[in-house]
Amino acid sequence: MASKQANRQAITLKGSTTLVTEFFKYAVNTILFQREVYPSDDFHMVKKYGQTVLVTQDLALENYLNRILKQVQKWLLTGSVTQLVLAIISKDGRIPLERWVFDIKLVEPPADSSEPQVPKPEAEIQSEIRAILKQIISMVTYLPVIHEPTVFNILAYTSDSADVPAGEWVDTDPLAIEASKSQQVKMRSFSTDVHRIEAMVAYRYEE
Amino acid sequence: MFNSPKTPSRHRSRSETKTPLTPSLTAAMNGVSLASSPVKRSRAKSSSKSSTTTPFNATNPFIAPASSRSRPTSPVKRTSGGIPVSDSFRSQAGGGVIRKGGVESRLDVVTNDYVPPPKAEIKRSKSTPAVNRAGLDQRDRFITQRETTDIAAVSTTLEQLSLNPQAASPGHTARLAAATGVPLNRRILGYHEQPPSASSSDTTLAQQREFARPLYAQRPGAIATSTGATTNKTRKIPTQPERVLDAPGMVDDFYLNLLSWSCQNAVAVALEASTYIWKADTGAVVQLGEAPEGSYVSSVDFSNDGAFLGVGNGNGEVELWDVESGQKLRTMSGHQGQIATLSWHEHILSSGCGDGSIWHHDVRMPRHKVMELLGHTGEVCGLKWRSDGELLASGGNDNVVNIWDGRLGDVGEGARGSAKWTKRNHTAAVKAVAWCPWQLSLLASGGGTNDATINVWNSTTGARLHTLRTPSQITSIQWSPHRKELLTTHGYPTNSIMLHAYPSMERVAEIRDAHDSRVLFSCLSPAGDVVCTGAGDENLKFWRVWDVPTETSGKKKKAASVDDVGGGRLNSTKEGILSIR
Repeated sequence: MASKQANRQAITLKGSTTLVTEFFKYAVNTILFQREVYPSDDFHMVKKYGQTVLVTQDLALENYLNRILKQVQKWLLTGSVTQLVLAIISKDGRIPLERWVFDIKLVEPPADSSEPQVPKPEAEIQSEIRAILKQIISMVTYLPVIHEPTVFNILAYTSDSADVPAGEWVDTDPLAIEASKSQQVKMRSFSTDVHRIEAMVAYRYEE
Repeated sequence: MFNSPKTPSRHRSRSETKTPLTPSLTAAMNGVSLASSPVKRSRAKSSSKSSTTTPFNATNPFIAPASSRSRPTSPVKRTSGGIPVSDSFRSQAGGGVIRKGGVESRLDVVTNDYVPPPKAEIKRSKSTPAVNRAGLDQRDRFITQRETTDIAAVSTTLEQLSLNPQAASPGHTARLAAATGVPLNRRILGYHEQPPSASSSDTTLAQQREFARPLYAQRPGAIATSTGATTNKTRKIPTQPERVLDAPGMVDDFYLNLLSWSCQNAVAVALEASTYIWKADTGAVVQLGEAPEGSYVSSVDFSNDGAFLGVGNGNGEVELWDVESGQKLRTMSGHQGQIATLSWHEHILSSGCGDGSIWHHDVRMPRHKVMELLGHTGEVCGLKWRSDGELLASGGNDNVVNIWDGRLGDVGEGARGSAKWTKRNHTAAVKAVAWCPWQLSLLASGGGTNDATINVWNSTTGARLHTLRTPSQITSIQWSPHRKELLTTHGYPTNSIMLHAYPSMERVAEIRDAHDSRVLFSCLSPAGDVVCTGAGDENLKFWRVWDVPTETSGKKKKAASVDDVGGGRLNSTKEGILSIR
């Protein structure tokens, strides 16, 4: 019984990881589209989470994101990634303009395993994800309009013990926005049985 | 000590950061936790460690001096567990010890490693001799540590001094870390590649986007006035049309030429398959005729005397109509494509075809095709005879402007003409071509969406005299007969009528959103004061852009018998909005 329980737990971690990774994919795509980092005609509509999501069809970008997400997924499985940040940087000035932060927390299983955990229904998770994606879209209404061309960068905050593929991932600048010039908005969160994702956006705001 | 042999430089750099409240707190923390590193040089560390009583450190005094360099024996190594120490992982290894158990354990290590500053100093100086080092150490013995150790070491010491009281309280550090939001045990990683730039992968997509880019163009800076027009201060240019005619069914096609104004003051307009004539003098509308079943009228042009109307059809036929009687006189067929444009010179009606050919039709002859001009690879959509018939200008969808010698001589069916000048400066279809009425050698041409440039050519020398970029596609050009000005009509996004001075090419006036959709066609009244524009919004609008100079008013009256309507002046007794059909 105990082994069965453990087995089920392992599957949940894997499933949850897939779910979280997938969420990142759509969240990143949504942000790139909404913030016009890439031209909007690069994106096509895909039905996902019971709503339409715009996903890039630029092959280079798609591959790039896939490579990143593959590694993120590995980290998620080992629990060594604590935060993912999508930084939007001005192309010319290399000034960080926006930071979309996704905190990844491991949900602590209750200390006593005697009481059976009720798995969170998939539909509930999906509706939480949907809420975040919708919130990202609605953010556009009050985020400052970016007039200059931008690029993005994805940062992964990992624990020091994380397995890092040499040469592919390198220590980088946090691309932080000066505290005095930044405003932060906390967004919704979603959780699976294993992970809890909290989203936040910080943007450069100067009067 | 943990990784000191490997990364002295790292410690040094870390130790230089002294402000714990900045994002470099992490670095500072690392510096703190590894503060023993400078000491390692003097091996004093071992002794300092021995003073602390953690199990880990306790082993040090025995092992460290003997095998200070051998990693496996170092207690740190053991705690770092299975993480292989490699250059790429050195930071990991360094931190790994501490990180194992998160913040708390790290703080433990910190407290353990640190000795209150004064103590540390004493220990250092004492321990210097213990390490069997060469000259440096010996000097240390007599001179204070601070002076002998390098800057980094000193700064670390200083750092210790300042930090230790804080580090002494793990709670404080934890609060500090929480307050600043700087994680103690994190790496920030970025993917080694930069994200691909927009559409770098797909060149065809990029190309298409480049083509479509003007369509997404922002409207150039808004015009301040509420009428959406800029006009000259010294001159009143009406920003509202003098008259609007309803033209239902007007085809919204850039390549067609569906509007012509004769010297007898009649406006011909083609609406789908029908051709209508609106008499400006009386306001009467006559339907002239219909295109053959299944086809449509693609171009109209009045002959120079205004008695005949040439009508080009979508099926390649060119028709000749008598305006007065409303009878079709003949049909000249032979073209394989749509006749997008027509131009008259005396008895020669020239037609520009969708297949890129231009034919001269002699309307008097049974075998009407007297010459063929082949110089375009795309549809010919702009065609204008110079008033003296010497030259013919054509513009095509192949972005080329050709100027042809208009002298026909003794020609027959097989005659071919050759272009005198071929201009390839435009980067989009050239529909707008216009000869200057007061300086015959001047030809103005305007390009389509991706070009949006007016070029003025000298047809004698072939030189390009002036170039002006405009905000949007140029659909037609009219020169003013009485002023040194030219008028251009534009498509998306401004849908404007612009008036430019010549030769300065300065903008004299601009009427934004003259129509609700792109302004496609324009023609000039015989008197040269009113311009009629047609657009996809199914309206014809009449704009009194220029005045007729008083001295020419006599001539104007001659041109049209009715005084009020003289020479294209519209009959003011008619109501403002009329319907063509």
